[in-house]
Amino acid sequence: MELFRVGGDVPDTNYLFMGDFVDRGFYSLESFLLLLCLKVRYPDRITLIRGNHESRQITTVYGFYDECIRKYGSANVWRYCCEVFDYLALGALVLGASAELEPTGPVYNDTTQSTLSTTDDAELETEVLNSKGDVTMSTYRPRQRNSLDNGSTSSTRDPAPMRSGAPGTGASGSGGGSSGSRTGAVLCVHGGLSPLIDTVDKIRLIDRKQEVPHEGAMCDLLWSDPDEIDGWGLSPRGAGFLFGADIVKQFNYKNDLSLIARAHQLVMEGYKEMFDGGIVTVWSAPNYCYRCGNVAAILELGEDTSNGGTVTRSNGDYGRSNGILTNAANKASLRSPGRRYRVFEAAAQDTRGMPAKKPVADYFL
Amino acid sequence: MSASQIPNLNTLRRGAGRGRLRGRGGHEGPGSGSRGHNDRVVQGTDNDASVSRLSAVGLGYLDDPHARALTPPGQETRRLPIINRGTYVRTTAIDQLVSRFLGSTPGSDPTWKQKKKQIISLGAGSDTRVFRLLSSPEAQNNLVYHEIDFAVNNAAKIKAIRGTALLQRVLGRLEDVTISDGGDELHSRAYHIHPVDLRTLAQRAENETLPATSPVNRLQETVDTTLPTLLLSECCLIYLSPNEADGVVRFFTQTLFPPSDDRTETLALVLYEPIRPDDAFGRTMVANLATRGIQLQTLHKYASLGAQRKRLDEQGFDGGQAAADVDFLWGRWVGEEEKERVAGLEMLDEMEEWKLLAQHYCVAWGWREGSTWFDGWRELEEQPAEG
Repeated sequence: MELFRVGGDVPDTNYLFMGDFVDRGFYSLESFLLLLCLKVRYPDRITLIRGNHESRQITTVYGFYDECIRKYGSANVWRYCCEVFDYLALGALVLGASAELEPTGPVYNDTTQSTLSTTDDAELETEVLNSKGDVTMSTYRPRQRNSLDNGSTSSTRDPAPMRSGAPGTGASGSGGGSSGSRTGAVLCVHGGLSPLIDTVDKIRLIDRKQEVPHEGAMCDLLWSDPDEIDGWGLSPRGAGFLFGADIVKQFNYKNDLSLIARAHQLVMEGYKEMFDGGIVTVWSAPNYCYRCGNVAAILELGEDTSNGGTVTRSNGDYGRSNGILTNAANKASLRSPGRRYRVFEAAAQDTRGMPAKKPVADYFL
Repeated sequence: MSASQIPNLNTLRRGAGRGRLRGRGGHEGPGSGSRGHNDRVVQGTDNDASVSRLSAVGLGYLDDPHARALTPPGQETRRLPIINRGTYVRTTAIDQLVSRFLGSTPGSDPTWKQKKKQIISLGAGSDTRVFRLLSSPEAQNNLVYHEIDFAVNNAAKIKAIRGTALLQRVLGRLEDVTISDGGDELHSRAYHIHPVDLRTLAQRAENETLPATSPVNRLQETVDTTLPTLLLSECCLIYLSPNEADGVVRFFTQTLFPPSDDRTETLALVLYEPIRPDDAFGRTMVANLATRGIQLQTLHKYASLGAQRKRLDEQGFDGGQAAADVDFLWGRWVGEEEKERVAGLEMLDEMEEWKLLAQHYCVAWGWREGSTWFDGWRELEEQPAEG
């Protein structure tokens, strides 16, 4: 409820939830059913992908099974939910995210990292808001120019002209002209990458309607974590892998992605970008399990309306590598989407509806 | 979330939401309760510990056949993997300190191993360590074990001992065993249970006169002050006020074991306590426990590994002090093979939460200057001081 208060109501805001709907508190069942109801009512506004906790094995250890038994006296509800889990998608692609954010308002405690003096030369890339909607941090990047005189940054930036029209007008010079603000797709997955998966297409090939296996591509997507290593490493979780910046860079390049958004790891600040913004961990459960004292975050992406809201790339296939390296120059034009993080805390106890019992977390006593 | 904590919504259907009213009543809040109420809350923490122990034993983390007999029936619950791992690390780390003190680790000096020793466990409650250490007649010749706790906790334990043959093995010959009429005090050749409110020890340390019938007198009579002695406090002193907690330690370091001129008595203290109350996790921990009426009274005074070391030094354990948090102990004290075994017992998904939790508990140990035979402890790796 607090999340929808912060992020905006459905269907006015589109939501993509990156898994782990259950095992996070005393109301797993209610949370999951609410999301399912929203999905049924607004199927094109809500996307749910599977987390590693959407599994029979994990829910029997981490509480969802116990919760169902306790609330309904039998395992049937749990069993039906697990069947639904098997149908959840393993990942999602967000297309047509805008590269630039519309500024929200004045910046408090400005810790702007850009050295650019005027915002005329810069566009808002990331913005962090607290639960009251105050901007607590923003970062800018150089605005795209027609020429290559942007100094050192221009070599990695798109030399194409920026869009000329106002957002929503589609008033750019040509169809190609709008590609200046074209962003790569955002791949959303609960855990991370897999050594068995080198293209997004291979995710599509997975026979996913099953319990999460102990190993293999499907397991990795739900269990892996990014880490400051080179290549692949063993995961301390006992499932999935650790993967380094090089893996993310290669994968994003090969698949025309500008960002991988994932969840899976508790981040005390609610979100954490890694590897030059190539991957971000978003954690949306405040005061996780009533114990951790962390804040949560929602990642908000804007819609690129420069082509009247249409997305040239369908189904993630646009500009897909055909194996010929001449595409490379074109690929470099992909820009990361503007990212707004709405950070929020757990709702106060009193506003939480009906806590039948005060939450009690285990400690060592 | 373990099952016992999940609200049973069926109970709301019946009656008029009794649970809800009670939860919001407010007059049972922390601090506002009477001393008696607060004591019951602290006594209840023992139950928490025994349920956690049984969960860890049931899943194979620990091997302890005594755990079931000392957990109240019907309370068995499977704890979360991070709690089980924490219980495992806490238990095995203290086991390691104890077995080095006893000289029972390989390579120990045999003359030290054969020397009789004494352990005094504060707020022992349903702890099973004594049963593991005194299970053989040989061990009963070499070790005297004292437990000190509230009478009510002792009564439950003594009742369990009476009803369980396995637990009676520590008592040696049954004709040597005496149990008080109230069933809260037990004396045998090697094992003593004292019904003492620790706060009265703090009073005695201040030279206050206690009634002649006070069980503290019997404690003073039965403790052999000539033996090398190890004091254990597992999540115990932290529930007392800082003054009382210091007073309890002073009772042992000054009243019972006053330092002699040649400073050759062996006296050591091992603590297991929460630390780091001032970060987000720590603040949440303090607030959560407060809703249960549990106040960790010395937590802010001894908030870091450094503060725990300093405390040990100031309280007379000036021969050496060391401390390490549970995260460090898991990483450095548990062997690779054993780590693999334990990690394989349950899938521990919550690595980040585990680290957080484990960094908020520590084991600290210190020994008195002149105490011999602590080379075994010196070899143990301690955690470098925080920046």
